[in-house]
Amino acid sequence: MLAVAAPSACERRGGCTGPNCGTLINAAVAEPATLLPPSSEDIVSNDIDEQLFLKLADVGMSENTVGDEDFQPLLAQKWEWDGPLTLVFHLDARARWQDGQPVTAADVEFTFNAYNDSIVASPFRPKLHRIASVTQRDSLTAVFRFRERYPEMFYDAVYHMRILPAHLLRPVPRDQWRTAPFGRQPVGDGPYRFVSWQAAQSIELVADSTFFLGRPGIRRLIWRFTPNLQVAVQQVIGDQADVREQLVTPDNVNRARAAKQLAIYTYRGNVYTFLSFNQRAADDSAQPHPIFADRDVRRALTMAVDRASLLKSALGDLAKVPPGPMSELLGIWDPDIRQLPYDTAQAGRILNAHGWRDHDGDGIRDKNGQPLAFHILVPTSSVLRKQYAQLLQEQFRTIGAHVEVDALEPTVVNQRVGTGKFDTAILSRSNDPSPSSGIAQTWTRAGFGGSNFGRYYSPEFERLVDRAVTATNRDQARVFWRAAMETLNADAPGIFLYALGNVAAVHTRVDNVQFRPDSWAALLRTWRIPPDRLIDRDRVER
Amino acid sequence: MTAATWLLRRLVASVGIIFAVVTFVFLLIHLAPGKPCTFGEQADPVVCKQLIQQFGLDQPILEQYWRYLVAWAHGNLGYSFSLHRPVLDAIAETLPFTLQLAGAALVIDFLLGLGLGIYQAARVNRLPDVVLSNVTLFIYSLPTFWLALLLLLVFGEKLGWFPVGGPNDVIFCPSVNSFYCVLDRLWHLVLPAATLGLVGAAGTARFQRAAMLEVAAQDYVRTARAKGLPERRVVLRHQLRNALLSFITRFGLAFPFLLTGAVLTETIYAWPGMGRLAFEAILTRDYPLVTATALIASTVVVAGNLLADILLGLADPRLRVRAGADIDVVTA
Repeated sequence: MLAVAAPSACERRGGCTGPNCGTLINAAVAEPATLLPPSSEDIVSNDIDEQLFLKLADVGMSENTVGDEDFQPLLAQKWEWDGPLTLVFHLDARARWQDGQPVTAADVEFTFNAYNDSIVASPFRPKLHRIASVTQRDSLTAVFRFRERYPEMFYDAVYHMRILPAHLLRPVPRDQWRTAPFGRQPVGDGPYRFVSWQAAQSIELVADSTFFLGRPGIRRLIWRFTPNLQVAVQQVIGDQADVREQLVTPDNVNRARAAKQLAIYTYRGNVYTFLSFNQRAADDSAQPHPIFADRDVRRALTMAVDRASLLKSALGDLAKVPPGPMSELLGIWDPDIRQLPYDTAQAGRILNAHGWRDHDGDGIRDKNGQPLAFHILVPTSSVLRKQYAQLLQEQFRTIGAHVEVDALEPTVVNQRVGTGKFDTAILSRSNDPSPSSGIAQTWTRAGFGGSNFGRYYSPEFERLVDRAVTATNRDQARVFWRAAMETLNADAPGIFLYALGNVAAVHTRVDNVQFRPDSWAALLRTWRIPPDRLIDRDRVER
Repeated sequence: MTAATWLLRRLVASVGIIFAVVTFVFLLIHLAPGKPCTFGEQADPVVCKQLIQQFGLDQPILEQYWRYLVAWAHGNLGYSFSLHRPVLDAIAETLPFTLQLAGAALVIDFLLGLGLGIYQAARVNRLPDVVLSNVTLFIYSLPTFWLALLLLLVFGEKLGWFPVGGPNDVIFCPSVNSFYCVLDRLWHLVLPAATLGLVGAAGTARFQRAAMLEVAAQDYVRTARAKGLPERRVVLRHQLRNALLSFITRFGLAFPFLLTGAVLTETIYAWPGMGRLAFEAILTRDYPLVTATALIASTVVVAGNLLADILLGLADPRLRVRAGADIDVVTA
């Protein structure tokens, strides 16, 4: 009865048949908490905000973040440098908020001040610290002034902020932004308009046919929330959704490949996973860790792990062994970066030389009564990381290290890692397109008390990172980044286990599918469904 | 003691139980390791600290509890940290979905369970009874989440007979008409309700079979048969009516089962109910939301048990309270 009722209903109403029809249902595994861009911390809210709120400009498919030559204009029609520390953006006069108001430089100034306001508590605030001010020269001209000169000035100016409507948000007290109705019924300036949010079910957007950069190819976008990844994949396989941007496991990829209506796309991933060694004692962070404070012991343990075999057994060809703390998204990814080899014999010799021997014949090395024993902390939410923890346990056992796996709730893992109460932990980090902010936050002193949970510190590494961050061109930066990565790899602050590539499944009726690796949904407005491939759900009128 | 006094005493006791549950859950979730903003693996510790201050989570737990009680007394269940909205709004949106799922599961549970129990008791120790006993035991032993995934795989993905998750078709339901949406909701309800209902029905069938067999040995049943009454009338009128007491008791016990089962079932079927809300609230340490869902769940369970006690009194005059008698209602 349902099958008959639905098509007949859309036939009765005529239905959409042109080139800008089409409905795309994304099987999302999480629901955003808010769509207010400064507070949008999760991936799904960022994907949806991509459609609703524009940046001044955005990175291109090259993902080059140095200089400004590869950036694509969005709200800013053009820009120019007015001296070494001043960047001037000229806004596109055609840009409008979806309530009809023009987008002005006052909105840009307001946005910068909001992102920088500690009351708003935006996670993007630390990334804007080198911008001194943003002011309006006239209604369509915004002026950015920087504190210092560096190669990624343009990137910092445009990438982290989505411009906000000052006329709608100024009346709302900043301490109430996170709970303001705007976050659940946003008014943007992007290619799509917000339509509805059914809590725990779906968010619907509709194309803005008057969008100044061109009408979006697909008329309606729906994010359908399914908390379980397997079920989200089943929805795409069962033709009840059109896109699943990450299939994650080899089994899911194989099942999706077998579905006739799905096309498979691969693109570079932006996440890497590693075993972090805590260099401070788990019970007293003022003291060095009895095992991992020793650089040579860390090196030995790293050399005891056959990362290529682990990868093959757990992930097949869906991931690569990262040559350092980076995902494939970063331009500095280079498989030739020097890394510690897999060499259990050498690992054993190092441990022997440092007094870690099996004195009592129990199969576990010890030194001055301290066994070579430690815990691996891993979140219960990640099947893959739990699997890796067990594989690592076995590999460490073969060189005489006793490992216990502590699988705990994600909130507990994060709290213990954040307070330094761990020996080792399997952690994942996502990169934005620039190595500058993420690597510095996680692997230098700037990240103490923040994301540098293992408290790794190397003056040489930090010197090289500084040189890389301030290099004047991309090639020069790459040389310094490579040297920095080789220094870090030699110090072995962690074992870099895998960097997942992304495999997406998209319905075959969708054309012009492009994934930009740092944000899969960034180019959704260019996707199309040709009129001859429309199916019932594409034609439905509301 | 009159029935009214008994009911009043039960209501006061029920409020006390609910208050105790809420207090226990409030303290437990606050004492559990993990803080609200440590859910995201890359949460900025500085931002996290600001939010903890903003929501008053850095205050002593007793002060937080007192503030919570005061707000509660004013009908305010607080703000959800993870959803960025009032808890009451979130509960109001999700509770109807849980009631629909639990209601449908209860219908399957009792109709199927009762029917099977009666059928088995009428054929005790014969082949159908032996087969059904093993089948119901097998289903009763299945973990709910496993059965849910199995049904989804077979009937959702492979056969395509039923939708894979969600409460409605997101395209057609808002576009057609409300009649279509009702049918569509029922269609989406089949697998989640079957998951919960089948496990419950397996238990109910075993309970009901045992109760029917216990009654079958009674003198009045033997007398009914001796009178030459048709077997159908003996079973349905004399045996079943007297075996209903255990069924009503099971009705009271079904609520905790349905609510705990709903947590997993709603999560797997992407059903936007209170169980899924509670599960996600626990994972994100959303204290106000966890406490509020415990409040609603305990109210439903207490109310269900109270209703079962009242029904028992109505069904069996021996269990009714009598004026002046120094006894309380006896629950079976």
